[in-house]
This record gives sequence, C-alpha cells and structure tokens, in this order.
Amino acid sequence: MKYLFIDSATATLVVAIIIDGEITYLYNQETGKDMSSKIMPVIEEAFQKTNLTPQDIDKIFVANGPGSFTGIRVGLTVAKTMAWSLNIKIIPVSSLEVIASTPNNKNNIALIDARRGYVFAGIYDNNLNVIEEDKHILLDDINAEGTYVSYDDFNGLKPQIDILKVIKKHEHELGENPHSVNPKYLKLTEAEENLNKK
Amino acid sequence: MNTYILAIESSCDETSASIIKDGKEEIATVVLSQMDTHANYGGVVPEIASRMHIENITLVIEETLNKAGMTMNDITAIAITYGPGLIGSLLIGLMAAKTLAFTYNKPLIPVHHIAGHIYANNLVQRLEFPLIALVISGGHTDLIYMKEDYSFEKLGGTLDDAVGEAYDKVARVINVPYPGGPLVDKLAHQGEDTYNLPLPLDDDSYNFSFSGLKSAVINLVHNETQRGNEIIPENMATSFQNRVVEILTKKTMKALKEHNVKNLIVAGGVAANKGLRERLTNECEKNNINLIIPEIKYCTDNAAMIGAAGYYAYKLGRRADLNLNAKASDKLH
Repeated sequence: MKYLFIDSATATLVVAIIIDGEITYLYNQETGKDMSSKIMPVIEEAFQKTNLTPQDIDKIFVANGPGSFTGIRVGLTVAKTMAWSLNIKIIPVSSLEVIASTPNNKNNIALIDARRGYVFAGIYDNNLNVIEEDKHILLDDINAEGTYVSYDDFNGLKPQIDILKVIKKHEHELGENPHSVNPKYLKLTEAEENLNKK
Repeated sequence: MNTYILAIESSCDETSASIIKDGKEEIATVVLSQMDTHANYGGVVPEIASRMHIENITLVIEETLNKAGMTMNDITAIAITYGPGLIGSLLIGLMAAKTLAFTYNKPLIPVHHIAGHIYANNLVQRLEFPLIALVISGGHTDLIYMKEDYSFEKLGGTLDDAVGEAYDKVARVINVPYPGGPLVDKLAHQGEDTYNLPLPLDDDSYNFSFSGLKSAVINLVHNETQRGNEIIPENMATSFQNRVVEILTKKTMKALKEHNVKNLIVAGGVAANKGLRERLTNECEKNNINLIIPEIKYCTDNAAMIGAAGYYAYKLGRRADLNLNAKASDKLH
C-alpha cells in the first residue's frame, strides 16, 4: 500500500511517502510562516523522488489539528482536494498524537503553544493509546504523569516523530470521505466566544 | 480546440468555482455565500470565513464539475485568485488550486481579484478596446485605462476609504443593518436630497476621497441628534448616494473624454448599486458611450469572472509555480 502523510499543524512541516510499511521519502523541517508556499513544492519533490504519481496513492494520512489554525488548513486543504479528486479516503490523525510518537518510556504529554498561558495538550502512552483526549487547556491546569514533548519551549523533549508508529496505529481504519474531514481546532474563534457571552 | 478554465475564488466570504469556455462562455458556476453567518457579527470575521471555506471547498469544486458534466481531464488550466483579499480565505482556494494543478499536471494561472471583476463584463459582451474600467467595491475605487486585453493602466483611485466601505460606515450611522450598501441604495430610492453634504474631492484628478463625505454624514447626524432633531434615514441615504454617484460619474465621464475612449465598463460589488447604474446609463446614452455593467450576479465575488480573466492571462502565457502564495494586497497587473 502507498500512503501520503502530511502534517502542517505546527511550524514544522512533515511530508512523507510510505510504501508497504517503509518510509521512502521524508521531509521534516521547521518551515514557519512559509508553510503555504513550501508545502506543494515539497509534495512535488516527494512524488518525483519516489517515482510515484498522486494517482498511485491508496490513502492520505493528514494531521487535522489541533495547532496553528492556518497551518492545519493548508495541509488539510491539500489532502482533501487530492483525496476527493482521486476518489480515495483520508485518515485524519491528531497532530498531538504525531508529536507523541516520540520514543519515551513514560507517557508523552504532547503540547502545542496556544498563547496566553494556554496549550493544546494530549496524553498518549508508548503505543499511542489515548490516556487523555486532546484539549485546549491552561498549561498550569495539566495534572498528569508523563513527559512534556513539544516543538515549543516547555522544558521537555523535542519531538522525534515516528511516522510508521502513527501509520500502523491507524492504517486498518476505513478512512473518511474527504468532503467531511475538517479541522479539529478545539477552540472557537474569538468572535464566536464573544457572541456566546452576550 | 476549446480552452476550459477551472477557476476558484475564495478571497472573502464566498466559496466559488466555475468552468469557463474560451474566456466568454460560462459552462457552470457554483457560489456558496457565507453572508448570513457573518451578518451575526456585523461584518466578515476572517477566521470564521476561513473555517467555512475549508468545509466547503471540495464540495463546491465537485458540484461545479458535476453541473458541467466534466472531469478534471477535460480541464485545460486552473485559474486562481491569489489576491488581494483575506489571507486565510485566499489560502483555501489557493491550496486547492495548486493541489489540482499538481495532481492533474495542469497549468496554474494566477489571477488578480480586480482583473476578475473587470473580466466579469467579458461574460456579458466581449470587451472592446480601448476602454475605461470603473472598479468599485468594498476594497476598491479605481479608474483604469485598458488599451488591450490584460493591460491595466491606473488613472486614479481612492486616497482613503473605498466607496463600498463608505457605504457600510454610513449605513451604521443611520442604523441600517449589515450588509449596509444594498440597503442604503434601496433607502436612497425612497428619500429626497435634503441634507447639505459636500461633493468629495471635486478636482481635476482621477482620484477619489470618501472619508470626508463619510465624516460629514457622521457629524450631521451627531449635530442633529444633539439638537433633538430626528434624522430621516431615507433622506440621508439619498443625499449621500447622490454625492457619491455625482463624483463617480463626473470623473468617469472626464476620463472617457480626455482619453477619447468610447467604451466604459463598471465592475465590482458596488456596480450593483441601482442609483449609479441609472445615472451612468443616462450619461453614456447622452455621450454615445458603449456601457457594460454586468448582471448583479457577476458584480459580487464569483469564480466565473476569475475564469474569464484567467483565460486571457493563460493566452498571454502567465503561469504560477507551486510555491505561489496568497497576497493580502497587490498591484493590479
């Protein structure tokens, strides 16, 4: 089976092609604000280097949040458009779970900075079983055993993601219709929050 | 062989896709407007707009292809609005367009949103050159001279507020709900020109200024309210609209005369304004000017106009790479 993997939910862009359980192309670099101009050339390179075309892909794995709202949408729009047009399924995965695939002998507390003291946090064991669901929470309110893992500065491990671990965990899922896969922001927009207060 | 452009537009609060044949013929268009949602907030909320675009983008493109009875293999090239507009909104259409261009190995054509508004007229009637284009919308008030396809020479533009912006602000002052522009236009047809408002930037340039006129309305409303006098919204709308229409018409007719041009096109959301349509129609008849104002459905944002403009950009060999980024603002070129 041939898979395309995309994660653009943080400042680190990850694009991979997996053929029969092996990573044959990997891009895993901090891209920051260039995500929207960088991602397609990287995907183009991924296909060129593996001698594949998008038409060869069986499923697309994509991190659909939480994280940078714009970042999530950039990668997910690519995944949705490609999967819809090729009539294949998407397997959405948590961007925190991807971070939590970092090797560790304790539970991983994956964190993405959400500003003003808030984080997106998810707690996973070494087999990527969910210990605590992803949520938007004050960093100070996290009260769990485990190691912080984050690209941001939280005095913990820096992510060393294991894409195959994420793929193996999910590849037997049926996948979803690309039209109905949407971001998991875990946070309303400010405008909606203000409207709800009224 | 015919050229079929698949165009995508998501620069503000409309998710739209369209297939245009040879720059002139609309095969299929789908426009999904978010206006009802943003009305709850009194204006477009960028993050909400982006969220709605991504939920709908593939559905809108699919429906467009289905309506046309076509597949991606029938498409010659993909045209995309890269700017100006809301970055988060633009990015959804842009990423979808780049993905389709890559997946199906099709040329990617970058289209400026205003070029789209201008070429909306090409769907009504093939443009005849040279022409003057009056582009009026929530973000633009420009007079543009075109000697041929895709040649844009800006004669002048607004120095402050765009005309649509001024409409929205005046609407708020006289308590007209969002979207204010069309409702002020409607009120203007029911009132009389009773308020003493200035004709804004009535000089020899092709530039416009609407912030002074807007302030005059705000001050007048304030002063009258202070004196305990009631403002008559209909009359205020008429007085305001008359000044706007007067100055737009005056400078447009001057541009036509001084450049010895016989073709005028009006483009952008404010082209839907009935007061302006009536006045320009009259003036153009009097002066033997060939006027094109698109149907209302082509005045608001839609991908059909992007497909029309995209065709001529395609013919000129304009292409974008896969690293094309969205631009919040960019000179029309």
